[in-house]
Amino acid sequence: MSERVEVTAAEEVPPPEWGRRRPLGAVSPWIFVVVVGLLLLGRLVFAPYLTAPALQAWATIFVAICVQALPFLAFGVLLSAAITAFVPASFWTRALPKRPFLAVPVAGAAGAVLPGCECASVPVASGLMARGVTPAAALAFLLASPAINPVVIVATVVAFPGEPMMAVARFAASLLVAVVAGWVWLRFGRAGWLRVPSRPAGHGPRWRSFVEAMRHDFLHAGGFLVVGGATAATMNVVVPRAWLESVAGVPVLSVLVLALLAVILSICSEADAFVAASLTSFSPTAKLAFLVVGPMVDLKLIALQAGTFGRRFAARFIPLTFVLAVVVSLAAGEVLL
Amino acid sequence: MNRLTQSMILILLGGAVLRITTVSTTYLNYVKPGFRPFLIAAGVVVLALGVIGLVQEWREAAHDDDHDHSHTPGVAWLLTLPVFAIFLIAPPALGAFSARSEEPQARPVAAAETYDALAAGRVNEMTIGEFVGRAWGEGADSLAGQQVKLTGFAVPSEKKDRWYLARIQIACCAADGVAVKVAVLDADMPPENTWVEVVGTWKRPPSGRLEPGTVAPELTAVSLTSIPQPVEPYE
Repeated sequence: MSERVEVTAAEEVPPPEWGRRRPLGAVSPWIFVVVVGLLLLGRLVFAPYLTAPALQAWATIFVAICVQALPFLAFGVLLSAAITAFVPASFWTRALPKRPFLAVPVAGAAGAVLPGCECASVPVASGLMARGVTPAAALAFLLASPAINPVVIVATVVAFPGEPMMAVARFAASLLVAVVAGWVWLRFGRAGWLRVPSRPAGHGPRWRSFVEAMRHDFLHAGGFLVVGGATAATMNVVVPRAWLESVAGVPVLSVLVLALLAVILSICSEADAFVAASLTSFSPTAKLAFLVVGPMVDLKLIALQAGTFGRRFAARFIPLTFVLAVVVSLAAGEVLL
Repeated sequence: MNRLTQSMILILLGGAVLRITTVSTTYLNYVKPGFRPFLIAAGVVVLALGVIGLVQEWREAAHDDDHDHSHTPGVAWLLTLPVFAIFLIAPPALGAFSARSEEPQARPVAAAETYDALAAGRVNEMTIGEFVGRAWGEGADSLAGQQVKLTGFAVPSEKKDRWYLARIQIACCAADGVAVKVAVLDADMPPENTWVEVVGTWKRPPSGRLEPGTVAPELTAVSLTSIPQPVEPYE
């Protein structure tokens, strides 16, 4: 998106002697001053009028999603920058099996040790790719880590008292989806679809490239997180929950509906089990689909992935993950629940 | 976007997060209290990133005029949106708007399997979640004849003879909020969204017991006190 904007800007502003980034670079601090000015002015002038209940509920949920994701995003970005700045590339070639086919399940299982939610996993996966890890393996890690880490599994056990199989089914189904999705990408994915994020050229001492990478990743991923948060908040306010109850009894449709609800609500993977448990009228399989889909595909993840790896990637990988997650949930629900 | 602007956006965002967590309790409108240390840490990290960027900019501006290597897209501007929302709309805790519908209730988060017996002869203070959890299913007899005190906000009902005392339960942040409600009988409804403490007794439903996840249990009110919004608005 940004590239296209730059090109059109260059066409509209003809003088060829202008450096492309120069005018923008000189102007943007002033835009910033305008933004802060609007902020101060708005607080005095508009704030008393911004009180409609729907707007306030929207704003509360929007701010809540952003605020809640911030520590995870900061943690993920920190880890990602540390991976690129301090961990030598040779470490990954030693740590992961040489053959990509085997590296995928190992990376997926490694997701069990990163206690974070989905916001943290995208920058970490991009850091791994930038360090030469096979994209398919990094993707398996990306899908698995928010769903199968200890914090999430414990939260699931707590949310479903007396139903330990729910946590087991969640772990097994999520890991399976992550590994299969990684293998499918390995077999059918093309290099051109995936934009492996490049790092700002690191010159000077390591801590410097560490700070550069962190700032770049945080601003980039954070911007897309805001897009996802705003969309999810809108859906949360606009879609009435009553629609859900009407399909709760229908076997396959109810599974699909809860899978879609997981996409729309974009709840942090460490909290979604409690919401799933509150959907009492749905079957266990439908709840399992909610728990498997949510950490892998949701609105803020779609925005984050499209922003980090490119839209061509997101347009293929997200439908693939969604379909896999629903199918595996149906199967796991049949066998385990 | 150059490094100067990037740094200023980071400072603005980190400052906003630190403001709602350290000098006020506004963050409780959005997340669980347990998030505070993580939010403060994240706010400090973001603020520090911005300050380091400013220092680098200031030290290198003189002798390095081609320092803009990072291709940060314009999407980073969107990070100012939450800051705008925090300062302009100052989003309040979720209230009556989010608890309005008459649809079947959700099961209270972490409803216990069994509950302790209530102390006889005095008013038992409990959360709405606990009250609903007791009233649904096996534990209902523990409420019979006992006076309880519940805290929540007023929500109108479509039925004439009642209004709801409601509270939002959250597991992590306001996005996963679920409303729990008790129908209050025999009391005039205070203005919508007013926080009140209601003392009353549980009214046994005509059918004897309520299935979990069905209708809101009923409470015959004895007294009603308006209170300011609790510091921690969610259960």
